Amino acid sequence: MRILHSGTAGTLESSDVMITVERNPEKGLIIELESISEARFGNRIREVITDTLKKLQVQDVKVRVQDRSALDCTIRARLTAAVFRAAGIEKYPWEELE
Amino acid sequence: MELREIVLSLPTDRRMAETFLQSQGLRLEEDVEYTVVAVEGDRVVGTGSLSGKVLKCIAVEPALQGQGIASQILSELVHEAFRRGRDHLFLFTRPENETVFTPMGFSVVERMEKDLVLLENRANGFVQYLVALRNHREEVGVSGSVVVNCNPFTLGHRYLLEYAASRVHTLHVFVVEEDRSVFPTEVRFKLVQEGTQDINNIKLHRGGPYIISSATFPSYFLKEPSEGTRLYGRFDATIFGKRICPVLNITRRFVGEEPYCPVTSIYNQCLYDILPKYGVQVEIIPRLEKGGKAVSASTVRKLLSEGRWRETKDLVPPTTFEFLQSEEARPILDRLKKAPNSRH
Repeated sequence: MRILHSGTAGTLESSDVMITVERNPEKGLIIELESISEARFGNRIREVITDTLKKLQVQDVKVRVQDRSALDCTIRARLTAAVFRAAGIEKYPWEELE
Repeated sequence: MELREIVLSLPTDRRMAETFLQSQGLRLEEDVEYTVVAVEGDRVVGTGSLSGKVLKCIAVEPALQGQGIASQILSELVHEAFRRGRDHLFLFTRPENETVFTPMGFSVVERMEKDLVLLENRANGFVQYLVALRNHREEVGVSGSVVVNCNPFTLGHRYLLEYAASRVHTLHVFVVEEDRSVFPTEVRFKLVQEGTQDINNIKLHRGGPYIISSATFPSYFLKEPSEGTRLYGRFDATIFGKRICPVLNITRRFVGEEPYCPVTSIYNQCLYDILPKYGVQVEIIPRLEKGGKAVSASTVRKLLSEGRWRETKDLVPPTTFEFLQSEEARPILDRLKKAPNSRH
């Protein structure tokens, strides 16, 4: 998927996460993570993000994550929504997403 | 609990936010653009506002704190900012409230004593800015600095920069990067660039969000000095002296004497009080005078709004004058004619 502009999804409320996706002018993936559970779950959160992006076939992006202890499924859903918005796609292919 | 947008132009609506803020010892600042209130039944229990890239005037009724009202307000403000195309956001708070916002992904830019903390919504925003700035560091000789708005670039600015450049080995010039002036940032930057091309030891930078921006110094963009002017002025000076100067090896800051604008003159005083603490000398340079009056950008704007071209020509360098007569300048001149007394 091609990222056209920045896209965001989620909230700053407890158990949720706010994710912003934008193009990385250089190559590769940059994850900027702010999380109250960084010490315990930081690596897991990064893993979920890297995984989800791979499934969506997104490369060279910068992902900003403001996490308030969201569950993995929430992180996946918010990231997917942010990516679709950033790609300018308004119809979500629900069946293809797990 | 639900969130409601306040129609700021509607006095009865506006009063809802004002009354609540007053009860919390705060007030609804003049420059807010978007305000929401949290309502429980018909009672206001919280509020928050957006002004440019700054979230401000945020409060939640003390008895209801810790229930997630603040995070709902903040989420809504961040979304609105995003809809308006702004995603690098800031907020000021008192140090005792810092921990309300840090769990929501806001991190500290700088603290000033026990008065004020500036937070931003990204993890290492300021550090990344400083790392990029470091590439322009000059080790040889004395490095100095000037921060200018140049709305537009006049002979007065030219004189200040020329003088400052003659006093140091390298002069870092920061152009305020905030589109609240009649002349847009890109134009102001271009005119400074063209007008100083022959001065070889100048390094020109965009000020970015950490030097006299609506984030570091919101009161700068208000016409009249307010109670916040001194506080925010001191804050901006602290960020500059403590964080930016060491990165660029800056030990001098030059400012133009300010005979007209009370806000700038308070700001100069703040620099004078604070920068020496960080090993930076402040030198105030008298204004260039023409015909017994100091050359200032506000005079130039006034002349332009009245279409007095000949007098304008005496106060600006040829590069600026050429721009003013170009097609590109026409919409700017039209705006000036409509609002001749605009700030900065």
